[in-house]
Amino acid sequence: MQLARIVKVLCWVLLVIPLLTGCWDRLEIEERAVVLAIAIDEANPEAAEEENDVSHLRGEVPRSQKRMLRLTAQIAVPGRIPLGPAQGGGGSGEKPVWILDVVGHTVEDAIYNLQQEVADRLFLGHLRVIVVNERVARKGLQNMNDALRRNPEVRRAAWMVISKGEASEVVKLNPELERVPALYLLAVLDGAVKQGKMPNAFLGAFWSALTSKGQEAYLPYVEISKKRSILLSGLAYFRGDKLVGTTTPLEIGHFMAMKGINPGGYSALSDVPGQPGAVLFVSSDRTAKIDVNIKNGLPQVKAKVHIEGDLAEKSNAQFDLKDPKTITNIEKAMGTKAGKAFEELIHKTQKQGSDILGIGEIVRGKHSAYWNKSIQTKGKWQETYKEIPVKVDVTISIRRVGMKAQ
Amino acid sequence: METPREITVLQAAIILISTIIGVGVLALPRIAVLSGDTGAPLVTLLGILLAFFGLVMITLLGMRFPNQSLIRYSEVILGKPMARFGSIVIIAFFAVLTALASREFGEVVITSVLRRTPLEITVIVMLLLAAITTRNDITTFAYIHHFYSPIILAPVILIVILSLKNAEVIRLLPIWGNEPNGMFIGVLTVAALFQGFFILTMIIPSMRRPDRAMTASIWGMTIAGGLYLIIVIASLAVFGAEEVKLLLWPTLELAKTTSLPANILERLDAAFLAVWVTAVFTTLFSSYFLMIHATTELFQLRNHRMFSLFFLPFVFIIAMVPDNVLQMYELIEIVGRFGLLITVVYPTILWVVALIRKKRGKNHATRTNR
Repeated sequence: MQLARIVKVLCWVLLVIPLLTGCWDRLEIEERAVVLAIAIDEANPEAAEEENDVSHLRGEVPRSQKRMLRLTAQIAVPGRIPLGPAQGGGGSGEKPVWILDVVGHTVEDAIYNLQQEVADRLFLGHLRVIVVNERVARKGLQNMNDALRRNPEVRRAAWMVISKGEASEVVKLNPELERVPALYLLAVLDGAVKQGKMPNAFLGAFWSALTSKGQEAYLPYVEISKKRSILLSGLAYFRGDKLVGTTTPLEIGHFMAMKGINPGGYSALSDVPGQPGAVLFVSSDRTAKIDVNIKNGLPQVKAKVHIEGDLAEKSNAQFDLKDPKTITNIEKAMGTKAGKAFEELIHKTQKQGSDILGIGEIVRGKHSAYWNKSIQTKGKWQETYKEIPVKVDVTISIRRVGMKAQ
Repeated sequence: METPREITVLQAAIILISTIIGVGVLALPRIAVLSGDTGAPLVTLLGILLAFFGLVMITLLGMRFPNQSLIRYSEVILGKPMARFGSIVIIAFFAVLTALASREFGEVVITSVLRRTPLEITVIVMLLLAAITTRNDITTFAYIHHFYSPIILAPVILIVILSLKNAEVIRLLPIWGNEPNGMFIGVLTVAALFQGFFILTMIIPSMRRPDRAMTASIWGMTIAGGLYLIIVIASLAVFGAEEVKLLLWPTLELAKTTSLPANILERLDAAFLAVWVTAVFTTLFSSYFLMIHATTELFQLRNHRMFSLFFLPFVFIIAMVPDNVLQMYELIEIVGRFGLLITVVYPTILWVVALIRKKRGKNHATRTNR
């Protein structure tokens, strides 16, 4: 009887053990090195000497991966990340992040090299921003995307941005508004999306555009302005996984207008026809429709864009806006000018065969017979895109003039 | 040997729903998109219809023989030797299905959450849980499904709705797909994800009103199929066809991309996985239940309990057969498509033969005096 009881108890214990399986992956929060941001730059081939042999034998690197990358990581220091508003004075001497840089042949290689230097296990689940040097992006991001895609910790809602100049500078920048640099960078990007200054081009959207057959990808393009702040200086557009060009900040507005992304956040200074002086127009709402027709075996694109907005400033007092005709004239003049500017942006991307508007997707979706017959692949569309005629019509409505009556 | 007739139509429908929704949800959009391109929703719909056809056959048979399960009435229809062979194949198939489902579960958990826990442990825990729970009778079985169903349905719907923020309609076009190659195979593979519906044959003999089994089938398939369909549509609209092809588990990525409004939760994959574990459990529970009850009936035993642990080692060993995750998916697709012979074609044959030979089960007296 005694034995039977012991066996019974033992069985129960054995049954309970599997319930403890969660403990295998137990990881205390202080034992994690939380990576908030990484920057990827080019490194000289000589930098290979600097690398320790962590994930490959010396000199035995696959031939295709001879180029070197320098990865700068911003790691959160546990306990120093301020929660809530920062208290004045207290602990201002302690930096909340630790910035490290390593070299590697690929991104994962560099991350393993970094791990070799850091005591705690690197955790990428809170990786918010990936800054990539323009020069690296021009040579292609394929390897980088692959590594980030495979890693289950990386979130698709993270941001990838292209930097003019050294990416590590962007990560090292110490802005005044936030104590954690990576979070400031994040705030810059999120804020820009909310104010209508940038399309929501997060990592997941970038990847989707990258793989789409009839669309090319784009990313925010940033630079450091006067060594103190981060300037959103345009969109970097891609052909395949290679960066082929960048736009000006205002052209982001053009792009968003043609995509009909709201809210409108850009302003334009415009002449007033027949009057001396100029007015500043601030867009608030955009609607757009892109029509594609197939004529003579080539898609013809006609885009209709409507922008609504307000007058924010009038440059001098010599004329007034009382006459509704003046407003109509301004609307017309601005519409024609905008139409030209929009077409110019498209021509610019056409030269590079980079269809960031996704016209190819419209062809693929709505004219699938044509697509299946004569396009089929992404490469073919990139070539076709260069040829297609594009016409943009812009209409503008000025709805309000602010608090001043005249 | 009269089983207690406790199960209502609603419960039967719920059992169907929570059995069908299982491990398959994670890979479904990829499977559909790989074969149908942007025609994936269409592929899914056709798959659903094919599975529904099998379910209708099972239901019709069940209504014809309201007191017996397929294992028993197939003996009446085909004669003992043939039917027994069929039943053994069914049992073996569901053993493999259970094993592969638990393995797929283990792979997902290891890749995305518990990265250092050995695979064997996650698999055995899930199987053990299913094995122990199947020792209960069919009424408890129904209650367990009933209890978990809202937990499975609500979050999935929530994720789909929230994810539509990033959706683009153009990605769903053309609905036929640009290169619809191997659409037929895709339809079969998608239909194979619905094979859990076979459990209905075990439920009908315990239903209070077997004559209303068809209502349960229609509801069960509509809800489970509808859910699968919107998951495919949402994944396709959010990611685009080419991107879905690159994702091992698009539905999980969908949860990862989606955040609750106002930054309450910035990524929903953890929440989704918790729900999904429940969904996997109910699926495993059903297929395990089916397996041991079929065995019990095959040997005409009274008590099913002894089989619940007896099958465990076999199922576990089958689960460990695939070498890696890619091989596993290949196996799942092949086994799944083969399984359609058992879950769709076999019942159809039975039904046709039953019609020809005019076999019919004894009508159970509709209980009026309860």
